[in-house]
Formats: sequence, C-alpha cells, structure tokens
Amino acid sequence: MTEHRDLDELLRVIEGDAGCTAGEAILDAYVELELAGEDPARVFPGTAIHLKSCPGCQADHDGLLDAARRFAGVSPE
Amino acid sequence: MSSESTTTTGSHTVRAAADSESELWIKRLRPGHPRHDQTVSRLHDVLLRIAYHELSRRRGRLDSISGPEFDDLANQAADDALVNILRKIDDFRGQSRFTTWAYKFVMFEVSGKVARHTWRTHPPSREALTWDRLPDSLASGPDDRLEQREQLRALSVAIGELTDRQREVFVAIALNDVPIDVLALELGTNRNAIYKNLFDARRNLRASLADSGHPVLDEGQS
Repeated sequence: MTEHRDLDELLRVIEGDAGCTAGEAILDAYVELELAGEDPARVFPGTAIHLKSCPGCQADHDGLLDAARRFAGVSPE
Repeated sequence: MSSESTTTTGSHTVRAAADSESELWIKRLRPGHPRHDQTVSRLHDVLLRIAYHELSRRRGRLDSISGPEFDDLANQAADDALVNILRKIDDFRGQSRFTTWAYKFVMFEVSGKVARHTWRTHPPSREALTWDRLPDSLASGPDDRLEQREQLRALSVAIGELTDRQREVFVAIALNDVPIDVLALELGTNRNAIYKNLFDARRNLRASLADSGHPVLDEGQS
C-alpha cells in the first residue's frame, strides 16, 4: 500500500482544479470567507481543489491568511 | 482544468460591498484627494511590514540572505505591490476588505522575488531537468513485489512518452522538488503554464499506467 499511496500522490490529479490564474483573482475573497468562519470551498470549489495541489499558490494563500489575521483592521489614519 | 468564474456569481456569500474602512482607503488613495500622499505613505508602511513578515515566514528559501539585502528585498516587494495596487485600484470590487486585497499583491511580489533569488543562487541543475531513470526513492528494491516492479517499469516507459515540456516539468517538480516558480523562471514562462504542464503530465501518466494494466490505486483502495 505504501508504494501505491506514494505513486498516487506523485501522480495526483483532481478534476475540477481551477488553476493558478483563477485562484489569484479571488484569493482575497477566498481568505475573507475563511476569516469569517465560512467554507470557501462552497463558493470557490475549483480553487479549494487547486490549493491542495499547487505548492506555489498554497504558499501565497497561507501567507495571505496569516497576514490578514495579524494585520487586520489597519485603518488609513 | 476548469474556470472558477462561474462559481463566483449568484447568491453565494461573498462580501458584496466594501466596509466603511475599505471605502475610506479607496477614497483617499484616489488622485486629487487632499490626503492622498499621506494615505499612500501609510499604505506603503503597512505593505512593508507585511513584506518583512512574509519574507521571514519564507526564510527557509532565502538561506544566506540577511541585513541590507533582506531589507532591499522587502522594500522592493512593498514598492512593487504599491505600484500595482494604485494601478489596479478600480478593480477592487469589495469582495474582501481593502487591506486583504492589498496584502495579496505583497504575497505575489514576495513569491516572485523569493523565486528569483533562489533561481539566481541555486538554479535547477541539469540533472533536475533531464530524464534518465526513476530516482532511487521510487526505484524498486529486491524485496518489492513483482507487480510493483512492473508498475514502476511502466511508469518509466510512460515518462519517456510524455511531450518534452511535460516530461521536463514533471521530472523537475515531481521527481526533483524544483519549486514551481523557480522552474517557471528557468523555462521563461509563468506559474500557471507550468502547473498546466504538470497537471497534463500527471493525467497522461495515470492514463498510460491504466492502459498498460498497471493502474494507480487511489488512497484507500486496496
């Protein structure tokens, strides 16, 4: 099973993947839903799938979620 | 791969209108507002803090960089993010707070600059891009079952049958852990194009293995 699981991961393809460009456009809205305690996968299923497979977009997502949490409520004053 | 656009419309719960703080940011960042310059400066300060924070989070990819070079990278990321934000401010639709939208530009700049730094200091080796044989971590050992050895042999053949670009991308990312943005720089393209190549390569390899009688079992299947 280990070998199978490794190969499954190496060749993982999840249909419905929205790709990088689609996710970049809505990443802020995606993160905002997470911050509000909602499930972003209901609204952006293709990006939820994509974030499981693309390490580059996953890093951007994790960074944005962290920044939006830590630096929330910054006013222009 | 599918588009996300059809799912972003309709009655879904996405912030429909900007909150008052976001409206204030947008109003003051418009050219001609009496507090425009102060607000731009305030935004730059915030973006710089975000850039430092994010660069620190990704420090593992920046090994030797420190001091003035680190400061320079943070400042460049904040400067470039600010330029993009001001250029695209009319694109802000209130689907998030203004600050969340703005911070997104810092993430993209940091990603790009970290990748460029890695590419300059540790470009992918020729071995990481060329296909010779399955890496030792995958190659079958003497105790492996015949079925597994045959599956890996079929995978090896299938990799050889990919298009040149699909093979190059699969070998670099999946087998040699080259970061996707670094590979995009190396090949003179962008993350999305590389991801599409990788997606297609994986799908073709799965299909080839299935066609040759060695399907990859999904997790949970026996």
